[in-house]
Amino acid sequence: MLAVREISKRYGPVTALRGVSLELRRGEVLALVGDNGAGKSTLVSIISGMARPDAGEVLIDGEPFAGHGPKAAREAGIETVFQNLALVQTLSIAENVYLGRELYRGGALGRALRFLDKRRMRREVETTFDRLGLDLPPVTAKAGALSGGQRQAVAVARAMLWQRKVVVMDEPVAALGVRQTEAVLSLVERLGQHGVATLLVSHNMEHVLRVAHRVAVMRLGRKVADLDLRTGEVSGMHLVGLITGGITEADLSS
Amino acid sequence: MAGTTGASRGASKTDRSFNAASHMALRRLSAAQGGGLFVALLALAAYFTFANGSFLTRSNLLVILLQVSVVGMVAVPGAMLLVAGKLDLSVGSLAGLAAACFGEFNKIMGWPLGFAIVGALLVGALWGLMNGILVGYFRFSPVIVTLGGYAGASGVAQTITADATRTGFGPVFAVLGNGEIAGVPVPVVIFVAVFAIGAYCWYETPIGRHLIGIGANPEAAEAVGVATRRLPCLVYIFSGLAAAAGGLIVTSQLDGASVQIGAGLELQVLTAILLGGVAFNGGRGSLWGTLAGILFIGVLDDGLILINIGPYVADLAIGAVLVVAAGLDVLYQRIERLPMGTLEAVPSGIEGTGVAQQRTVAGNPTREHGIRDTQR
Repeated sequence: MLAVREISKRYGPVTALRGVSLELRRGEVLALVGDNGAGKSTLVSIISGMARPDAGEVLIDGEPFAGHGPKAAREAGIETVFQNLALVQTLSIAENVYLGRELYRGGALGRALRFLDKRRMRREVETTFDRLGLDLPPVTAKAGALSGGQRQAVAVARAMLWQRKVVVMDEPVAALGVRQTEAVLSLVERLGQHGVATLLVSHNMEHVLRVAHRVAVMRLGRKVADLDLRTGEVSGMHLVGLITGGITEADLSS
Repeated sequence: MAGTTGASRGASKTDRSFNAASHMALRRLSAAQGGGLFVALLALAAYFTFANGSFLTRSNLLVILLQVSVVGMVAVPGAMLLVAGKLDLSVGSLAGLAAACFGEFNKIMGWPLGFAIVGALLVGALWGLMNGILVGYFRFSPVIVTLGGYAGASGVAQTITADATRTGFGPVFAVLGNGEIAGVPVPVVIFVAVFAIGAYCWYETPIGRHLIGIGANPEAAEAVGVATRRLPCLVYIFSGLAAAAGGLIVTSQLDGASVQIGAGLELQVLTAILLGGVAFNGGRGSLWGTLAGILFIGVLDDGLILINIGPYVADLAIGAVLVVAAGLDVLYQRIERLPMGTLEAVPSGIEGTGVAQQRTVAGNPTREHGIRDTQR
């Protein structure tokens, strides 16, 4: 579904990515792990259209996505939950969730006049929160009044509501409490059942082992391992060894 | 106020319910930004009604609306620009330029009235387009670009007219500034129409929330696909068009096309918008608040004359109210930054402490394990 081919990216003298390739299949949860500076964030920003690779391409269903920029990525079906939580503090929760993708009232006239269907947007957001088991302040509350964890939950819910072919989540549970983390993780599991491919960036090996079907390990701008987790043979200890360079993929198979 | 917020943040659990109540009251106050001015406006109107019986009459209210109509119609796109973190300082000079162009088109070049009006409006719209391209697409500073327009448009107007005032546009054109439709002055009708269109765009289409998004968090707005370049550019065109229309209305009222028309308009417009609670740095504000700001100035000017206090006192009062509004602006920002979860009983467990929890829950233990694992 999503294929990343031989991507390289340099920032001045720093090479962030060296010929990285990834494959993400329908309904699959692929975890992307690696130490800080391993190139995870660069890869995510390329997939979500925020940065352009120096070499290589991103394919969706075998097609490179047209144009560039976050809009092109979204139109190609890639939804990204940003680490820096792209919320507008002075807009309400419901307004934030639908920002840039507002729903209009029915009928040719409603669409032609771009007449907002505010009630339906509020209701849809409430329904989504309920479905995800997220307890949040009323959807009319301003995003600026939310705590960090609550904002993260809104950002995740936004990606879920707009579920496309591929959802990219950069540390989605990094700012969540125990119960919210649980809700988001079970959400990730459910996403796969709906046929959505998920790319999950995480530092938490426990979460990775629990929800991911496959894991790609990044180290110093390269992909050093791509492992199937469903066999149950890979442990958190192995992953950390791969991340730090203590062991290699070859060590693991022998 | 800072003391109150600090205290409620550090409140112990026993104080919570009390603080939550006062906290919610503060929050409601901040939600009513423009609303606060509406209350002041009503109080002011009540006082003038009491002080002078002729204040609350149909004819006086129409006079007030007529006085604010030009400032008001330019303030509608002005508020849209300011909430998006932009600014248009060229509107006054554009009103003068449109008036000058109209005079030249009609009197010197001999264009029919309709063509001259459309031509003058087009000049305003095109200048707005230029502002919009430079600020919206090329990301030039709005203050510098429109300050350039402020000087430049007035310079162009003086050049093409050689500082001459054209007069005698006839009774048909006079209707624009002095006529009435169903007993309501034409400029008031135009102002109400412009405001209605503005309110529809602001509240019923995505435009309002997109502009607020651009002003509050441009990166986030861009990331979710808001037209952060095109939308401000369109509003600049709207602003230039409204300024040109205002210039034509004044030309009609005076029956004279002078480059002096519109002088100082940009600051009157900005004053009304800021009074109405739109944040100077953008991201926060409402069009209804802007209407309150426009009417507040109109009522103050009119009422103080009715009770025989000169217009200079009115300027002093507007200045004082503006400073108070600036203080309230600081207060609102403090209130909005208070995290809601710390004081409301959110049963989910994502309280303000949730952030602290995640460090221990989500990140560190695993990594500590990890380090030990690799050392083994």
